[in-house]
Amino acid sequence: MPDGKLWGCSDRNAEVAPERNQRVDRLEIERLGGLAGFGGPGSRIKSKGEVALADLSAADRQAVADLFDKKTSIPPPKPDAFRYRITRQTAEGTQTIEAPEDIVPPALRDSVRDTLE
Amino acid sequence: MCTCFIVPRDILTKLAQDPLLPPEIRKAAADTARIAHEIRLLRIQALRLTSVASMLETPVSALAAAPAVTVYDCKHTQTLPGTPLGSPEGTEDDSARRTYEETTKVAKFYKDVFGRNSIDNGGMTMMSSIHYGNRFNNAMWNGSQMLYGDGDNSIFIDFTKGNDVIGHELTHGVTQHSLQLEYRDDAGGLNESLSDCFGSMFRQWEKNQDSASADWLIGSDIMGPTARGRNITCLRDMADPAGAHCLAAQPTQYSQVTPGMDPHYSSGPPNLAFCTACKTLGGKSWEKIGQVWYRSLTGFGPSPEMKMPDFANRTRQVASQMFGGTPAVGGAVDAGWKAVGL
Repeated sequence: MPDGKLWGCSDRNAEVAPERNQRVDRLEIERLGGLAGFGGPGSRIKSKGEVALADLSAADRQAVADLFDKKTSIPPPKPDAFRYRITRQTAEGTQTIEAPEDIVPPALRDSVRDTLE
Repeated sequence: MCTCFIVPRDILTKLAQDPLLPPEIRKAAADTARIAHEIRLLRIQALRLTSVASMLETPVSALAAAPAVTVYDCKHTQTLPGTPLGSPEGTEDDSARRTYEETTKVAKFYKDVFGRNSIDNGGMTMMSSIHYGNRFNNAMWNGSQMLYGDGDNSIFIDFTKGNDVIGHELTHGVTQHSLQLEYRDDAGGLNESLSDCFGSMFRQWEKNQDSASADWLIGSDIMGPTARGRNITCLRDMADPAGAHCLAAQPTQYSQVTPGMDPHYSSGPPNLAFCTACKTLGGKSWEKIGQVWYRSLTGFGPSPEMKMPDFANRTRQVASQMFGGTPAVGGAVDAGWKAVGL
């Protein structure tokens, strides 16, 4: 995101690349924000991970589905709190949402690893 | 009052309704969901009370002449607030002792320099939780307390080692009880910048540094060996927001700020404006320019969606009112904002 716009949700029904079609069983996770400004346009710290849907509990899978379906109430952002960008592949294309730390299942939060670029 | 829950309420509700789970588990989930919901309502109500109380002409009576400072140990969990520490000032836990001492000093800084009695100006207890999470690379203000991670000892070390970090987090509380800036767009960038300004001022005040000798770095004391090995010496640099030595470089001009930006990115221009104003005037940051920023933050009631140009104009107005006999103050404030295109 070169313009630094990191807030809100987006449904990106972009064309799905063939190799990404093979990843429909996985979620891509990126941790953003925090005191250090993770993942910002000028940031050298990134925090990314992946989760296999099969490794999630039924409750966590449902929680993720509810996030994408906007059935979960989104609390207002808190200063310096992390938020998470979650991307999934569907038959319709790529979908990406962003959610504050409080409502992201721990299994997703724990999947990311912090690295310097 | 904790606003963070390990298990989201929607999941608790589903668990409570899952016929495959034992009755006692379903009951526990239902009870927890109910409590979580009520606490969320309580938090919303508390924010409304904060807003109304701050608009009263007569301030609410002080809880205490000076705030109590409490420290809790999360013991590497994310359960808040954690176990209370009876005597954090006398413990062998360096994080606990440091958190107690530095939080107490922040209270003294706000009292002695700005005449403010704690976060809410009413003697509110300053509550901190340490050892939050497992190698947690963050610190934050959650609406009612501070929490600090230990860092991963690679990119970051213990977040309590940054006195500017502690000042930064507590200032988020001050902002919540004064301007009440939202955490998005211009207001979000201002919110972050005010925490950096007062966090840096606190650090300079502790060292009795003037603006010329201060380094103006944010988070330089929490950078770990891996970050330092790559010549990353700070989170942000208020004097050089775009510097390559910053973990998260920022824009330097207001024209680069657009809606939707992360507040930690868009805080660059107001950070540079404050630093430039302080350096232009000279002397100690908290004596004049800091007073202008503090009055602009606390003297006008809530303004949740305030834009950066409005805050800039307010500081110009306040500088004129407070230091009309010393036009160099107003000139320095003006130079600061002009340096970022405002």
